[in-house]
Amino acid sequence: MTQMPQPIAPHSEISPRSIANKADRRKLLAAIRMALDIQSPAVRRNVQIFNRSRYRAISLLPDYDALKDEARRIKEASIARLPDLLQHLRRTVEGRGGHVFLAATAADACDYIRQVCVQRGARLVVKGKSITTEEIRLNPALEAAGIEVAESDLGEFILQVADEQPSHIIGPALHYSRERITALFKRKFQTELALDTGEELTKFARDILRQKFLHADVGITGANLIAADTGTLMLVESEGNIRMSSVLPPVHVAVAGVEKVIGTRREMAPFLELLAASSTGQNLSSYTSFLSPPIDDPPFALPGRPPAKREFHLVLIDNGRLRMREDSVFRETLYCIRCSACLNSCANFQTVGGHAFGGETYSGGIGGSWEAGTGKLENARFSELCTGCSRCVNQCPVRIDIPWLNENLRNRLNGGAGPSVMSGLIATVASAPEADERSPVSKAFFGNYHWFAEWGSRFPRVANAFSNLGPVRWSLERLFGLDRRRALPPFPRRTLVASETNQASAGSGTAALPRVALFADVFTNFGMVQRGLATLQVLRALGVDVAVTESIPEGRAALSQGLLATASAFAQRAASLLDHYVKQDRDIVIVEPSSLAMFRRDARHLLEDQQLFERLRSRTFDPVEYITRLLRHLGRHPAAVFDLRQSPVGTRLFYHSHCQQKTIGAAAATEELLRSIGFNVTCSSVECCGMAGSFGYKKDFYDLSMAVGEDLFAQVRKAEEPGHPLALIASGTSCAEQLRAGLGRDAIHPIELLAAILRQDPSLSAEAASARSRNVAADSTRHQ
Amino acid sequence: MASDLIETFEEKARELAAGVCRVRCDAAQIRQTIHEMTRDAASVAVGAGEFLPDGIVNEIRSIPGALTNPTGEQLARAEVGICGAFAGVASAGSVCIALGPPLVNLSSLLMPLHIVLLDARRIVARPRNLFDPDCFGGEGLRRNLVFVTGPSATADMGPLVRGVHGPHRLQIVLIG
Repeated sequence: MTQMPQPIAPHSEISPRSIANKADRRKLLAAIRMALDIQSPAVRRNVQIFNRSRYRAISLLPDYDALKDEARRIKEASIARLPDLLQHLRRTVEGRGGHVFLAATAADACDYIRQVCVQRGARLVVKGKSITTEEIRLNPALEAAGIEVAESDLGEFILQVADEQPSHIIGPALHYSRERITALFKRKFQTELALDTGEELTKFARDILRQKFLHADVGITGANLIAADTGTLMLVESEGNIRMSSVLPPVHVAVAGVEKVIGTRREMAPFLELLAASSTGQNLSSYTSFLSPPIDDPPFALPGRPPAKREFHLVLIDNGRLRMREDSVFRETLYCIRCSACLNSCANFQTVGGHAFGGETYSGGIGGSWEAGTGKLENARFSELCTGCSRCVNQCPVRIDIPWLNENLRNRLNGGAGPSVMSGLIATVASAPEADERSPVSKAFFGNYHWFAEWGSRFPRVANAFSNLGPVRWSLERLFGLDRRRALPPFPRRTLVASETNQASAGSGTAALPRVALFADVFTNFGMVQRGLATLQVLRALGVDVAVTESIPEGRAALSQGLLATASAFAQRAASLLDHYVKQDRDIVIVEPSSLAMFRRDARHLLEDQQLFERLRSRTFDPVEYITRLLRHLGRHPAAVFDLRQSPVGTRLFYHSHCQQKTIGAAAATEELLRSIGFNVTCSSVECCGMAGSFGYKKDFYDLSMAVGEDLFAQVRKAEEPGHPLALIASGTSCAEQLRAGLGRDAIHPIELLAAILRQDPSLSAEAASARSRNVAADSTRHQ
Repeated sequence: MASDLIETFEEKARELAAGVCRVRCDAAQIRQTIHEMTRDAASVAVGAGEFLPDGIVNEIRSIPGALTNPTGEQLARAEVGICGAFAGVASAGSVCIALGPPLVNLSSLLMPLHIVLLDARRIVARPRNLFDPDCFGGEGLRRNLVFVTGPSATADMGPLVRGVHGPHRLQIVLIG
């Protein structure tokens, strides 16, 4: 008999602990509602402060990229020889008089620490911030033995008072506004104190905790890194509580995952600045300690307490990590230094925080891999909130490809869904591999969007007449989870490929012309045809010989749904197609940024032939990016080619670039070109518009998507003077739809604007024909 | 070069809410400077000055309120802690303290005001320089160290608050 699922409480009554584990998907949806209603303003404010500070801090690091490379190399090498390092570390610490315990499970770790405390007659344990002790559930284990545990990091202190799990890896209580903390303390401590300012609240907590520090029997800390050669712990903090926990009590227990161990103390150097800049956005945190315990200082003793000898225990946690090390994909998780850059740069995380986008301990982009690796795969279901926008990718100080980890989690979770007739049907008609037939129906639909687009485009009048009818939208919502509030882009009367066959290809046969193949990506070919046509118009006016490819999916949609077999098969087919053009010495121009990003970034995971990937990576371009390079190649100033006065939308623009376009470095060219033509351009500074491809079309995530979009909409409103709207320019199809949904106005692609302001200058082609080289990409401008 | 480092160090340290004053290497004058800073304090814990020119710490121990062989209780109540720094870091405005000698750790941690004395010749460009075996005889790779950057701080209670568990104020006395 099937057990009836427990009902989920209304979101105003939800306690964060009750929805921490999201193996049941309904808890994920309830947590999103709770976070949007209660936590979002504080989360948004605090996470965005971290994010802005981080951008500022890394801009001040002259060798930021070199530091990242060095840190990555050290972590890769350390994890590769981890078993040896653990043995080396044990010898080092024991040689110094300390103790080492390698805990296979969370329970083993808790047992050991409890025994240490009980044997010393400990009544009070003071803890510095340690997310790993949250993972192993240490506090309840100690409390069950009658030991008082005092959390001394103020964020952890708030959570202990509120009985909640952390919502952020370095700011565990940042979902609390000052006002909510005041209300919480007044309620829990029954105090008459005003507690109306951050200073008052801090003093209140500090006074309580100072007494705990002075009287604690045992201090427990984590460790940011541990050096095997000297037994040195690197401890990073702002408040001074970790220093107190490690120095004042006679017994110090440090708890850390085995992945924190690196070879030498000297190797800690690159992490020193990198970690502070990537986490809180500081040059250095207030205190960064390098301790090789047991330390020499005599323990602090108040009168009446017996003198005690210093004691040190290093508890290293496996709890699934050594299994992760054997997993070719999830091994990368172990390189994580828990800085939170991936959380802070994530638009979804900025909006709901880690109680929605997180599990029982870990949260954000990297959180799913930690939860799955140290627990069950199903615990990582919240990783669905990773949209694959890729904004975290360049922010990770150890270069972890976090979207790829989440796409793999999704893939493995899909596999557990059981066979589905509808998914099998979709996979069959869309020529998708059998391996993905077990995916949920919604994922099969969004992942094989090209098939629906192609059929709709065969009968555009019928499809357009039907696709927005109420009953049809109701059915699409019920069957596939496609939210009925989202407008569907109309199918074009003629696809890009069909339009092109009716035109003569300008300039073909002139050997000296720059040569391009325009990839008819699915979104442009079956949707935004005018963008493709505008690209053809501008390129041909500039004398470029352009061929249009056939339209096949490149695997982006499938990848975003975790349909990895489908994504690989499609990427392979599309790569072969484009390689055929590259071998004709054509550069490839791709209008839709997410399709472009597939060849510039994601396909490295999907193509077996890495040379093919590198070939395509260096020859694929955004249309405006290509035009910018071409004009530089031709020695033409943009204003000589494009006429500002012809602009149909005025001269004041708001430009929103696409998230993946920014990650691959293909966005800045548009901003520069528009400015050099003479436009007054305001650019969005949000990480992502919230639509993120198909994410915002899904019924389950519509509200979150629109809430994320609010930052973008607000930026547009702020940039506009009353009565003088700015023209909206956006490079992504779904970004334009999000802008339309939020502001009620259409956005155009920059290439459409460029086509409209092209000067009628017949000399352009002739000039191009006399260019030195026809290969624009090879002309010292190839992207790295 | 050295004066550039000192200038950067001072600028960065002030940005991070540390006070910085510079005095010439004269024990009597340094004592006078410290005395003015601690005028209102009833008790002052004075830690070792391992990397300072000779005689300075002994001179400071003669200021009013300086504790001799303090008990734990006296330390818990002291208002000022004074110690010498191992090095300064220009890029971050940090002082690096080498732990071990008596009271260095506690005098840099427990009291609301922490005064740290730094020999201006011991300022390096970046934190990682201290992990170079050739820097200060490789001492940075052997000792227990803490990089102190401004007073203790938190944003956990909403706005940024300076002064949490560690010192509320950091005063750097740059010598030379």
